[in-house]
Amino acid sequence: MEKTKPKIKLAVYWAAACGGCCVSVLDVHEKLFEVVASADLVFWPIALDIKYSDVEEMADGSIDVTLFNGAIRNSENEHMAKLLRQKSRILVAYGSCSHLGGIPGLANFSNKEEIFKRVYEECESTVNRDKIRPQPENKVPEGILELPVFYNDVRPLDRVVEVDYYLPGCPPQTERLVEVFMAIVTGAHLPHKGSVIGAGSKAQCEECARKKTENKQIKKFYRPWEIIDDGITCFMEQGILCMGPATRLGCGHRCIAGNAPCRGCYGPVSDDSDPGTKMMSAISSIIDAKEPDDIEKVLEDLVDTAGTFYRFSLPSSMIRRKMI
Amino acid sequence: MENCRIGVYICMCGTNIAKIIDAEAVKKSVSKLPHVELVETYKYMCSNPGQEMIIHHIKEHKLNRIVVAACSPNMHERTFRAALRKAGINQYLFEMANIREQCSWVHDDPKDATEKAIALTRAAIQRVELHDSLESLSVEMCPTSLVIGGGIAGMTAALELADAGHSVYLVEKNNHLGGNLARVDLTAPYLYSARDLLTERITRIKTIDHIHLHLNSKVTELTGFVGNFRAKIYEQNGKTDGNEKLTEVKIGNVVVCTGYKEFDASRITHYGYGKLPNVITSFELEKMIREGKIETKEGKIPKYVAIIHCVGSRSLEFHGYCSRVCCMTALKYAHEIKSANAKSYISDIYIDMHAFGKGHEDFYRRSSEAKTLFLMYEKNDRPVIRRAGPKDDCEMLIEVNEKLSGETIEIPADLIVLMVGMEAREDSAEVARLVNISQDKEGWFIESHPKLEPVATTTDGIFIAGTCVAPKDIPDTVAQARAAAARILAKISKGKIEVDAIYSEVDPDLCSGCRFCNKLCPFSAIEFDEKEVHSHVIAAMCKACGVCVAACPSSAIKGRHFTDSQVFAQIDGLMEVVHFAE
Repeated sequence: MEKTKPKIKLAVYWAAACGGCCVSVLDVHEKLFEVVASADLVFWPIALDIKYSDVEEMADGSIDVTLFNGAIRNSENEHMAKLLRQKSRILVAYGSCSHLGGIPGLANFSNKEEIFKRVYEECESTVNRDKIRPQPENKVPEGILELPVFYNDVRPLDRVVEVDYYLPGCPPQTERLVEVFMAIVTGAHLPHKGSVIGAGSKAQCEECARKKTENKQIKKFYRPWEIIDDGITCFMEQGILCMGPATRLGCGHRCIAGNAPCRGCYGPVSDDSDPGTKMMSAISSIIDAKEPDDIEKVLEDLVDTAGTFYRFSLPSSMIRRKMI
Repeated sequence: MENCRIGVYICMCGTNIAKIIDAEAVKKSVSKLPHVELVETYKYMCSNPGQEMIIHHIKEHKLNRIVVAACSPNMHERTFRAALRKAGINQYLFEMANIREQCSWVHDDPKDATEKAIALTRAAIQRVELHDSLESLSVEMCPTSLVIGGGIAGMTAALELADAGHSVYLVEKNNHLGGNLARVDLTAPYLYSARDLLTERITRIKTIDHIHLHLNSKVTELTGFVGNFRAKIYEQNGKTDGNEKLTEVKIGNVVVCTGYKEFDASRITHYGYGKLPNVITSFELEKMIREGKIETKEGKIPKYVAIIHCVGSRSLEFHGYCSRVCCMTALKYAHEIKSANAKSYISDIYIDMHAFGKGHEDFYRRSSEAKTLFLMYEKNDRPVIRRAGPKDDCEMLIEVNEKLSGETIEIPADLIVLMVGMEAREDSAEVARLVNISQDKEGWFIESHPKLEPVATTTDGIFIAGTCVAPKDIPDTVAQARAAAARILAKISKGKIEVDAIYSEVDPDLCSGCRFCNKLCPFSAIEFDEKEVHSHVIAAMCKACGVCVAACPSSAIKGRHFTDSQVFAQIDGLMEVVHFAE
């Protein structure tokens, strides 16, 4: 009889995220058979009926790999992050939210009070005459109902627990996931702890096929629908803000290849840099105006500056959040 | 990082620092910090015993990082770096905290000032931990020079360099040497002939073998850096036969002597230049004098000649500056016209008589005695010229609101000479781009320091001389040309040039070739490697300004000695103390 390799134990968890990361795991398509052949899925709330208590009962370190997607928005996310850290040998921050804070992280431009006020009182589609807000504990005749505590801050996974690897992207490229997964299964040489995996080591421009010249001076910013893109010239040289120069490659520059500027989901090129700040600094260097008023005029065309530069990285950036 | 052992020295600067700052309190506060091996306070750290103490401690305690909290690094950074070198450790493993200029001299509350001194010192300590050993570069100095422009400045510079035995490429765009001076007859105030001044020089230039003269030529490209430039000289000999030649030369330094052009008098429409046939410019008069005949367009000897000063100069509309040579040249004309025709009446219509040069005042006095009528007009209240009537015995009449008498005076004129000022040449922007220097708002080339570095520029190895810098007369032009040559000779005799170890560098493993930085370098130190598709900083040309570091979106460019981690460590050091205080 053929000697079978012991299967590795795999968990996938979804914290503060949209769900796209979990779907990206399913996007392995027929490769799923290879994955299943070498791994047992021990915990994956979107696909398997397993309770948190089942995880609590597992031995520490008994899960080989956990792909943790989503940021830490509330006490439930934090609890699960800590629990899965304890139970897992390798904890992977999977996707932009877990890696950098991601889109949910843009909530750091508000705080809990502002968010609750908007959502439970002001929102056009909300009818809430008694201004009831979610309570962590709620007494009902049957007992006490619990809801997770909503935090002021959104945090990336590594602000809560130690992370072994980061697999960036919104969502990560499925091909990269398979590569990383197979590397773990086959016991190939893994990079040092704390590394970004499944991505390149330079910025998007390295792979981007558009023509780049030294003429980067920007006289006016355009949103993509405002001009007819020639499909050939670097977006920046056409006045369209592209986060590519500050963003790690590895996604296959799919947005750019599809004639849309890079939004920056793969995060910073080097581990310790802050892509939003770097990009703002870079943009300020190439604005083709000298007088403050003229500069102001060029900048007026940038819509939602903070959201554009920090779309995926606010909670892990230097500014982290709006001052409370 | 190797085992970090920091020595911290707190200077009292006599009482300069000690009178406000409690040096002992600073010592106490920093002595427990990680990696701090010893802390000393001392009266004068910059003194010999102060430096000796550092050297001794480095050897005795195996210190490998030094922080001196004292004055501004502008004052003594070099002193202490030298001490580190003497002690045998790399001079960049050093940081200064400025607790004098930024602290004791500007604060009067001892408590607050001491707290700030602690913050600055801690910041320096946290920064120095991350310092790297850096080595400076040494590059060869090519002894050949390039001089652009064959006027009096360019010729003087070229001869000065050649007389010292070095090769020179002298590039002149016209088919002859001499520049604007070749258009002049006599020179003020001593009435030397311009031709005599030039002929000897032109002859020598043509006979010296190691002056390579390129007439009808232009420098079309300049690449490289001080000591190691490459220039392309494009030569077109005769426009009809199409005989073109491109020479590529290797040079170490460049002197730009591209001169000036005269103000276009037709821009002041109401003087009627170009419309009234006998309103001429100073250069047109100069031409008449050289040809030996001062006459009106109709071929008559002018009985009344009027000279109007400051045409295009000292005016809000045109050029605000004084062109410096016109006043004396106007007096020279009065003299020359009188010599040619003793019966001429000359009026000299001026704003102020600028006679600041050597011998000028004397020349003015002699001219005043020679029956020239001087009329002063108010700036921006220009004399008005109109055609004379049939009854007048002159061709034109000039109305001047004479400032000294306060009266409106009408004077006759058959010939009116407009003293056109100097302005930057139309190709000066092209030249500035070519050699990478800056221009002021008038188009003149900018010197690296207006008083102390009048012929150097912000680009190492590029010098400027003569009227391409600003209007000036012949003696000043010659002095600048010789000064530029002297600066170059000093560099050549040193043989090699040291390039500071602080410059920015591109990590080729991180650069993705986005090309954001390519055009930003004020010193043109960044080149793009088309083959490898990444940018590269030429260390010898970099002045460590950090513009490219800030512009690099992918952190591929690092400013040596100013890395993100060093600067952040310094900020953290400052902020920790702020938290303490709170």
